[in-house]
Amino acid sequence: MIIGKQKPFEEIWDMIKNFKKVLVFGCNTCVAICHAGGGKEAEILASMLRMRASLEGVEIEVKHAAIERHCEPEFFEPVMDNVRTSDMVLSLACGVGVNFLSERIGNIPVYPGINTEFYGAVPKAGIFTELCAGCGDCILHLTGGICPIARCAKSLMNGPCGGTNNGKCEISQDVDCAWYLILERMKKLGILEKMFEIQPLRDWSTGMYGGPRRIILDHIEEVEAQEERKGS
Amino acid sequence: MVKAEEKVLSVEEPREISSGWEPNILAFACHYCAFAAADLAGVMRLSYPPTVKVIRLPCTGKLDYIHILHAFERGVDGAFVAG
Amino acid sequence: MKSGSNLEKVLEGGYFAVTAEVGPPKGTSAKVIQRKGELLKTYCDAMNVTDNQTAIVRMSSLSGCVILKEMGIDPVMQMVVRDRNRIAIQSDILGAVALGIRNVLCLSGDHQRFGNHPTTKGVYDIDSIQLVQTLKNMRDEKKFICGEEISGEVPLYIGAVETPFADPIEYRVKRLAKKVNAGADFIQTQAIFDVAKFIKWMEMVRDEGLDKQVHILAGVIPIKSVGMARYMKDNVSGISVPDEIVTRMEEAKVAKEEGVKIALEIIEQLEDIDGIHGIHIMAVAWEDIVPVIVERAGLLPRPIL
Repeated sequence: MIIGKQKPFEEIWDMIKNFKKVLVFGCNTCVAICHAGGGKEAEILASMLRMRASLEGVEIEVKHAAIERHCEPEFFEPVMDNVRTSDMVLSLACGVGVNFLSERIGNIPVYPGINTEFYGAVPKAGIFTELCAGCGDCILHLTGGICPIARCAKSLMNGPCGGTNNGKCEISQDVDCAWYLILERMKKLGILEKMFEIQPLRDWSTGMYGGPRRIILDHIEEVEAQEERKGS
Repeated sequence: MVKAEEKVLSVEEPREISSGWEPNILAFACHYCAFAAADLAGVMRLSYPPTVKVIRLPCTGKLDYIHILHAFERGVDGAFVAG
Repeated sequence: MKSGSNLEKVLEGGYFAVTAEVGPPKGTSAKVIQRKGELLKTYCDAMNVTDNQTAIVRMSSLSGCVILKEMGIDPVMQMVVRDRNRIAIQSDILGAVALGIRNVLCLSGDHQRFGNHPTTKGVYDIDSIQLVQTLKNMRDEKKFICGEEISGEVPLYIGAVETPFADPIEYRVKRLAKKVNAGADFIQTQAIFDVAKFIKWMEMVRDEGLDKQVHILAGVIPIKSVGMARYMKDNVSGISVPDEIVTRMEEAKVAKEEGVKIALEIIEQLEDIDGIHGIHIMAVAWEDIVPVIVERAGLLPRPIL
């Protein structure tokens, strides 16, 4: 899922302090799981902002709300009228949600209350780790299910580099060397010799380096279009 | 790896405490233990300052962050959770 | 001859090669390079110019190499994949060849987080093994990565590095084989202090037959002080400094002299290892000592070919 982390409170305060009616708008999917931007976090943040406003002696009405997802239009429908009564929205959704709402809300600014970090997992409560880079050309079948693009600091295809230290990455003793993990895993799977082949240069254009990506499923899009035509 | 960090709201400037000032304390008490204890204190004629207000909860496990934040928003100086 | 560089002639001629390292300045003075070049010129066969080593911005390796070339020195241009994408890499190679540079050493490069611009974006478009492969393809097939033709010759002597003691150690020889298969002509290793361990590693290299396919130059770092010995032991991944060396440095009356003695002993042992075709001396911030070491190791005069 998408992992986010709430922005520092001061940065958030600076974003909202010149508005009068603020909506702190949570998303109850990924960012709720990582305790950054769900309905609960929205409620808490709204309360903290009201207290800050009162300490600063300024009048700001801070409300909060949350919907299940900020990345599909139908979830917004029941709440949009309400949302539009604010003069700014502090979105606690991931960057996708901020973009998506900005396109729909008209002349009301939508500001990000969290930093969208990465695609990750929750190995233990309170710990989130990056495991996928969304590169658009998966090679996990070649690397024992461990991604060198996301998890090697240099995204090496023919690792490990000389910086491996007791199975850790040269950048930090808190970071596992992805290639160390890959080799260990390949050994266990009995296919270590696959690693002796030179992996070719990557086509990075499948990822964000090729420009913004879009996927269209013709069969679904066509049905939707037919429904719309019938409806009209 | 990102570890969730608690971001704490900036604290008020320290100020002189005027004489006679008493903090408003809100106590959240569990029906089955702390509240019962408070009852017992009453029976024993023990007193506590009138600025302490007690809210009885079926269980303090039910206490959410937001209840404490709401208390502060409304001007309490301290919250006391007993359960 | 693949490139006709002095280093190639020395190695292919079966001589025991000596290369040294020149760190370019954090500034614009050609004199810094010239002074180091002048100092080391007759004591080595080729000189590596580092490429923004430890991710700290310095004069480019390419320019440093050109300055050395003008002095009649055979430069080894180090190239890391951290700072260039495949367009810049190939473009720099064309320019380097045009300017007379013949030896290129391919590295991943220290992560940008270590340097003086830790907030930069690392490139890592291709990795060091793919860089070796790319250069070989440019030289032998006269083709760019995309398959288009390169006009003119691309005479290159291609080098790669190896850190024998970085873990997982059992895989290092296999990875060296990948570099050799990719087209490396010579290898410069990370500094060797634990010769016994290195001898074992070289056995594995010979078992794979790699010593017959590539020239391996063992890395040597002269230790200047006990602090440096301890620092390398504890902080530099892939360098294994035996306790004995640290103790010797601690007990030495004149640390620098002991450092030179240790380097000479290591060189003597390295010379005897089957498959080691030279040494690469990395006298970090102590270039002055290189002539002393080369002379006392009996590696003079350097062959003129």
